[in-house]
Amino acid sequence: MQRRTFLTQTGLGFTGLALSAAETKPHFTPKAKRVIWLFMIGGASQMETFDPKPALNKYAGKTIDETPFKDTQNSPYVKKNLREVIAGLHKVHPSIYPMQVGFQKRGKSGLEVSDWFPHVGGCIDDIAVVRSMWTTDNNHGAQLQFHTGRHVLEGQFPTIGAWVHYGLGSLNDNLPQFVVLGEPIDTCCGGPWAHGAHYLGPEHDGVQLKVDAKNPLPFASPGPDVYQEEQEREFALIDKLNRATQIQYPEDAALRARIKSYELAFRMQTAVPDVMRLDRETEATRKMYGLDEKITQPFGEICLSARRLVEQGTRFVQIFHGAGGAGAWDAHSNLKTGHEKLSRQTDKPIAGLLQDLKQRGLLDETLVVWCTEFGRTPGAQNNNGRDHHPYGFSVWLAGGGVKGGMAHGATDELGFHAVEDRHYVTDLHATVLHQLGLDPRRLEIPGRKRIELDYGAPIREILA
Amino acid sequence: MRRASLMCLLSGLWPATADDLFVREVRPLLQEHCFGCHSGAAAQGKLDLSAPADLARVVKAGTLYQAVAHTGPVRMPLGKPQLPAAALAKIAGWIRAGAEVAPQRHWAFVSPVRPRSAGAGNPIDVFVTAAYKQRGLTPAGPADKRTLFRRVTVDLTGVPPTAAEMRAFLADGTANAYERAVDRLLASPRYGERWGRHWMDIWRYSDWYGYRKTNEVRNSQRHIWQWRDWIVESLNEDRAYSQMVMEMLAGDEIAPADPKVLRATGYLVRNYKRYDRDGWMQDVVDHTSMAFLGLTLKCARCHDHKYDPLSQREYYQFRAFFEPYNVRLDRVPGETNLDKAGLARIYDAKAETPTYLFTGGDVQNPDKSMALKPAIPAVLGKVDAFQSLVVPLEARYPDLREFVHRDLIAAARTEIEKATGPVAKRAAEARLAALESRIAADKAKHAKAADAEKLANTARGLERQAYVFTGEADLEQAQKKLADALRDGGIDEKKVTAAKAELDKAVAALAKKPAEYSPIGEQYPEQSTGRRTALANWIANDTNPLTARVAVNHIWARHFGRGLVESVHDFGQYGKAPTHPELLDFLATELVSNGWRMKPIHRLIVTSSAYRMASTGSETKDPDNQYLWRMNARRMEAEAVRDAVLHTAGELDGTLGGPEVEETQELESMRRSLYIRQAPDVRAEFLSQFDSANPNECYRREESIVPQQALSLANSRLTLEQSRRLAAKLPRDQFVDEAFETVLNRPPSPSERDDALTFLAQQTVLLADPAKLKPFETGVATPLKPSKDPAQRARENLVHVLFNLNEFVTIR
Repeated sequence: MQRRTFLTQTGLGFTGLALSAAETKPHFTPKAKRVIWLFMIGGASQMETFDPKPALNKYAGKTIDETPFKDTQNSPYVKKNLREVIAGLHKVHPSIYPMQVGFQKRGKSGLEVSDWFPHVGGCIDDIAVVRSMWTTDNNHGAQLQFHTGRHVLEGQFPTIGAWVHYGLGSLNDNLPQFVVLGEPIDTCCGGPWAHGAHYLGPEHDGVQLKVDAKNPLPFASPGPDVYQEEQEREFALIDKLNRATQIQYPEDAALRARIKSYELAFRMQTAVPDVMRLDRETEATRKMYGLDEKITQPFGEICLSARRLVEQGTRFVQIFHGAGGAGAWDAHSNLKTGHEKLSRQTDKPIAGLLQDLKQRGLLDETLVVWCTEFGRTPGAQNNNGRDHHPYGFSVWLAGGGVKGGMAHGATDELGFHAVEDRHYVTDLHATVLHQLGLDPRRLEIPGRKRIELDYGAPIREILA
Repeated sequence: MRRASLMCLLSGLWPATADDLFVREVRPLLQEHCFGCHSGAAAQGKLDLSAPADLARVVKAGTLYQAVAHTGPVRMPLGKPQLPAAALAKIAGWIRAGAEVAPQRHWAFVSPVRPRSAGAGNPIDVFVTAAYKQRGLTPAGPADKRTLFRRVTVDLTGVPPTAAEMRAFLADGTANAYERAVDRLLASPRYGERWGRHWMDIWRYSDWYGYRKTNEVRNSQRHIWQWRDWIVESLNEDRAYSQMVMEMLAGDEIAPADPKVLRATGYLVRNYKRYDRDGWMQDVVDHTSMAFLGLTLKCARCHDHKYDPLSQREYYQFRAFFEPYNVRLDRVPGETNLDKAGLARIYDAKAETPTYLFTGGDVQNPDKSMALKPAIPAVLGKVDAFQSLVVPLEARYPDLREFVHRDLIAAARTEIEKATGPVAKRAAEARLAALESRIAADKAKHAKAADAEKLANTARGLERQAYVFTGEADLEQAQKKLADALRDGGIDEKKVTAAKAELDKAVAALAKKPAEYSPIGEQYPEQSTGRRTALANWIANDTNPLTARVAVNHIWARHFGRGLVESVHDFGQYGKAPTHPELLDFLATELVSNGWRMKPIHRLIVTSSAYRMASTGSETKDPDNQYLWRMNARRMEAEAVRDAVLHTAGELDGTLGGPEVEETQELESMRRSLYIRQAPDVRAEFLSQFDSANPNECYRREESIVPQQALSLANSRLTLEQSRRLAAKLPRDQFVDEAFETVLNRPPSPSERDDALTFLAQQTVLLADPAKLKPFETGVATPLKPSKDPAQRARENLVHVLFNLNEFVTIR
């Protein structure tokens, strides 16, 4: 079904600055209204975050073949699960590397979380961990894949945030509905495509906002020499003339996006600076996100901004952590030092976000997703690191109609293959869409082919 | 189950071709069953099946198959049953298919051959038309004259045509009016600025950055703008691309005494990092291989490249070309203070520094068992033999040049004039005498004159004399300060003590045995390794498989909005295959046969029918227009947006070159945007909204459309003030038509004219009664105020509206 009419209304339907809200509706009653998507760039280790593997400690230093789990290497998944850019180059790291951090049972559920995430661990009763994710790219093209659901070799496609933006109306016409916070992933691994809309058109691209107290939105006002009425009429004429051009260029997605961007710009020039004012938060709230500590402040500000945005009606906030090259979480060596630091940067802010949403009654309708492009190998790389691992890894969801205090799916004893209730990336997308009241199979654009794998299926076992 | 079958379907999209049977099917079998004993240095029976030669031998002899099938005397794997039937079938199939051990050489690693172009006319169109036919695409018709002229003018000069230029073009009815217009545009100095900015993206131009508060350079160098000027000048002079590569990588070796050429080495100067030599080298290797060769050698820093035949060792061998080099500032005529002016350049500082492979890419973990020699990746061949070069005196001792002496003496004379009191004057005079004597001694020494030693002795004496007199002058100064301080009721004994100590030291020094006089300036090594010249010679060679292809692809991408190879920075196996391989090779060979001059390539491209098409229409067979059945409309880059506003308002300052303009001036300065300071720690706010280049890496500009751009054009001082300026210049009679012609290069349609006139009338009424209006409460007032006349202010508003239209920022 076509959600939005792709042929533009040309100049005939001039609506001035009429709002576009409620143009689209969910397919069925939603459980969640908004999404905060936390993406850890580079590949966070499953066995040092949310999927403890005591066998790694037991067999540390042995080769996989020397353990009772030799079969993992003959599993059909070894090949079927992997789509290399150039086949035959994927390496297995045979020497088992022990877990670099301890795990504790947390919350009433007693679900185990690593000691690097004590604060998130404290929220575990609101979290459903999915321990059986898999993807197919063993390199960082998987970052793009995690957002489009398609292997990088197939090209660029609309991302999950763009589909949500496309599929649903606005919750607040004064705010961008799909916002990107934090430095996005590097061009090596998808770049802006990972928050792009591709064939849905650039008006569905994520809008990047910067967390900058001094200048939350550049050029938010023309200054006191200009009258508000004067500017409003200018915007009306800009809109009218831009729409007139559409008669000549009805297929031009950029023009369509430009028109939308002026509509939004006019409204957000006051709304966004207000939303991004973190100084309006109480000291207690700021502390909750770790704004009082140097190590947690940058990511804390991002998480707090995300809460303020969803509270005011932004639909989808996509947060990146660990930007630069392949990503900070890409622990080929020095995993312990690296992951420990990155966990510290994010643990308290993320927990603060969950608690804050909860205390404000927002968590029920806000789906929070923590994810990364792939996991890491059970075997050691460079003595003290782990390599990329598409065969099995963890993500988690909280709020938005998701059960808490549970783990769904499982990897084998080594954390090698996802073996129970296996889920490909688009199952996570389908879960998000489902909670928002959208059926991924009904989100389609004529002439654009989505293959079956793209749709995914909601992970129903974790839904309340 | 559904998943499994889908995965098969997915792999079915990538059918195994004969040449990767080995990698896909056979190598994994050998790995599983044979490599345990038969690989590496300690291979059993001296048979290393991981070595192509050994493998080929046993395949040819037929013993490989016999062994694993247990049909011959040798039965493998030792003590185990024969391989399963499916595995045997794979090995047999591979042997039947020719037993290739590696995929065929990747297309980009084989030198382009000029394809035969069948048909007359512009060769580009022959290839593009062939693709239409092959895919059943119908091309869009030609663009109208106005659209085309605006497009080509922005593409080649970075600013739209003026209304007068458009009128002249439309009035020219001669057959080759367009071709002549193209020649004029290519001859304009604006061309060098426009394309200079493109190449600055690729070559990572950055002004110096570091710790600005203390004026401390940590990255790049002061005065690096001279490299930018060299880029612009080179393009305007149509200097060969190959020559540009040579000069950027090895200008100090091929023209060591030519400051004009030395500017080019700014390409390598830019990578300087004060506190991170390894990061510096890393940037040089990563980006030199990407910018000129489209190679992602950077992926081989920690391990062998995952996709291309580039080993980790080869990564470091490439680094070895650059290992000896360092950066320095040489004096330029007229200024002795290097903070104020100088030439940032490179030179080989330490020929003997070894290059090691860093295990795991870790700088703390060098493999010191072997120092690596400079080499290019073996898959691409070898550089020619080279040897070190003698650096001429004026290059290795730049302060021995006449103008430096002149300037230093002039500065010393100024000091004498400025000195107050006999003691200070005596000291300044002594310093001049010492300077002149040291210069004489320096000259004699390097000329190997007979009196060199005598002059050196004189210089030593005079220098020490100057030292003592200066010490005394300083003491006097300190005493004076002490007296002043005492009079004010304070005490500054520290300084007096320090000055006294200095005097004592100087007096004591007089009594000591004579030391050497100090030479005028820094002296550098007498040899340069020649490594970079060798590398540059190879990169800039006519037969290099990558250089010309990568260069023409960059040019193409900036005319069409997309490269023939979409991954402009990666021509390796992970990159995208060319959409028009023959066209790419045609253009690459054309560049080389034109002596690597780029203007003829631009001319060829913009005079093709492909380039002259309209950007309208739709085509379901190729919705993304990969096969160029229409022109791609593009948004202007950040610099073009800003420059177009200023140019359209008639305010653009056409001055070429010079030191960078402070980024805080971006809304006030009338200079072209490429002259505004840029560095990773600098954010020119307006430009950054339109995806200006990341100075650390920008092989392709992003082309986002976000509301922040609307706010930049609607609310910035730049557009507000320029609208006021332009409105004042346009005739009131026919204002609407003139405004459209000036800003959009076309007249308004009747309905647009009506809309604009209605707007003017309504806005005039609105503005006539300001008491009823609400001014914005936030933001900054602009120095240039709106007109007090409501009708004029309405006209300003209309121009402002036109600047904000999608059409204005679009290259249609």
